[in-house]
Amino acid sequence: MSRIPVTNIIYESSKVTEEEALISTKSLSAYFGEKQALFEVNLNIPEKQVTAIIGPSGCGKSTFLRCLNRMHEVIGGTYTGSILFDRTDLRDINPVELRRRIGMVFQKPNPFPTMSIMNNVVAGLKLNGMRDKKLLKEIAEENLKKVGLWDEVKDNLNRSGASISGGQQQRLCIARTIALNPEVILMDEPTSALDPIATAKIEDLIYELKKEYTIIIVTHNMQQAARISDYTAFFYMGRLIEFDNTKKIFTNPSKKQTEEYISGRFG
Amino acid sequence: MQEHFNAEIESLKNNLIKMASIVDEQVERVIEALETGKVELCQGVKSRDLEVDAYDNLIQAQCENILALFQPFAADLRFIISAMMINNQLERCGDIAVNIAKRVKKTANNYPLIVEAQINEMGKQARKMLKDAINSYIYNDSQLAETVMKEDEIVDQFNKQAFKFLVSKMQSNPELIEPCSHLIVMTKHIERLADHATNIAEDLVFYVEAKIISHKKKLQKLEKDQPEDDN
Repeated sequence: MSRIPVTNIIYESSKVTEEEALISTKSLSAYFGEKQALFEVNLNIPEKQVTAIIGPSGCGKSTFLRCLNRMHEVIGGTYTGSILFDRTDLRDINPVELRRRIGMVFQKPNPFPTMSIMNNVVAGLKLNGMRDKKLLKEIAEENLKKVGLWDEVKDNLNRSGASISGGQQQRLCIARTIALNPEVILMDEPTSALDPIATAKIEDLIYELKKEYTIIIVTHNMQQAARISDYTAFFYMGRLIEFDNTKKIFTNPSKKQTEEYISGRFG
Repeated sequence: MQEHFNAEIESLKNNLIKMASIVDEQVERVIEALETGKVELCQGVKSRDLEVDAYDNLIQAQCENILALFQPFAADLRFIISAMMINNQLERCGDIAVNIAKRVKKTANNYPLIVEAQINEMGKQARKMLKDAINSYIYNDSQLAETVMKEDEIVDQFNKQAFKFLVSKMQSNPELIEPCSHLIVMTKHIERLADHATNIAEDLVFYVEAKIISHKKKLQKLEKDQPEDDN
């Protein structure tokens, strides 16, 4: 007979230690020129879990995400403090290698329009020099299956990546990201351009993907963060206000600002 | 959107308070009838119960609508959940008031027995608990709710004593079997009334303090007695 939990059934706070974290930021401050976008963010992101980043527009959540694969620097930003990925400082990892290990999916689906569906999936591998056509086809099939797109496109693999629907394009982009076998997938509002059915498919996919990957998702949709994430970080004005397990954040957050934001009473 | 939500919440709370005042009045009347022996005070208790039932359905629909349309989180969500639970408790209290009224009428000629068994005192205590529980909800006063929970023990004691007394009366005076039976049923109703007041207080604490405290003592014992998990 298993024990019935009888006390402490309200969700307890649970923190992620640095030892448990796959990604750890320490006093991370990010800048665009003189303007500071992030202030001393200390955050431990657990492995093979979904971490949602929420907060009002301009709170620094996308900047935080872009710092994690050094995209922030690509668009002219700088940062101080440190970011550890698997205990190695990000600055000590080759950026190309880093972006293979930490993939990214954007708000607007961005398949390569001149490439076929199949070539979209294996574009990164081809760029890295893989030429074995049979292997490339196998990898494309495997990853299209993982994102639940195979049955929908298997008869049209040579059609343009831009010829399918928005939701399918986004899943194609996820397939392209995971074809490189990353450890982390960053998602910047991946469903905000999609209808509810396409959104549900992506959410189901995220639930499946977390068995193999660490996922960090920026979302404006509070219900989505509550539905799909294990941990939630709330950012406000460039600062991390609260980070805890999602059930705690959405039932009984510790900080008043978090409660006001998730209840739509902010400002 | 926020204003719209606030208006819905306010309307829900107002309806619950209106429902609670009807129930409070029903209970006040029957307990006063019990205390004074003035059966006529019970008049109208049954007809008012229809209003309570109407509020019960209205509040349930309002809660469902708010959940479906606004999908609230945290304290807002607990407010709706507690409103649903309190609604349920109040509806039961209304029914109990009607049941007590029936027994008051049937035992109208046995007022001394009621006083001897201290059922009037028991009723007074249960009524106070319900009033305090309703006030704790109106003013979000979890301290007041805590006192309600503690007082449940007093009503339980009255119930035990009354039962003992009435059984011995029936043994010694078989002609009192009928009124004493009615009074035993009545004390059971009063005891339930106090239980519902306690539940309302617990629901308020759930809303205000995000703590589930129902069955606390009994469950702590269960936790102690449970075998270790196999895992």
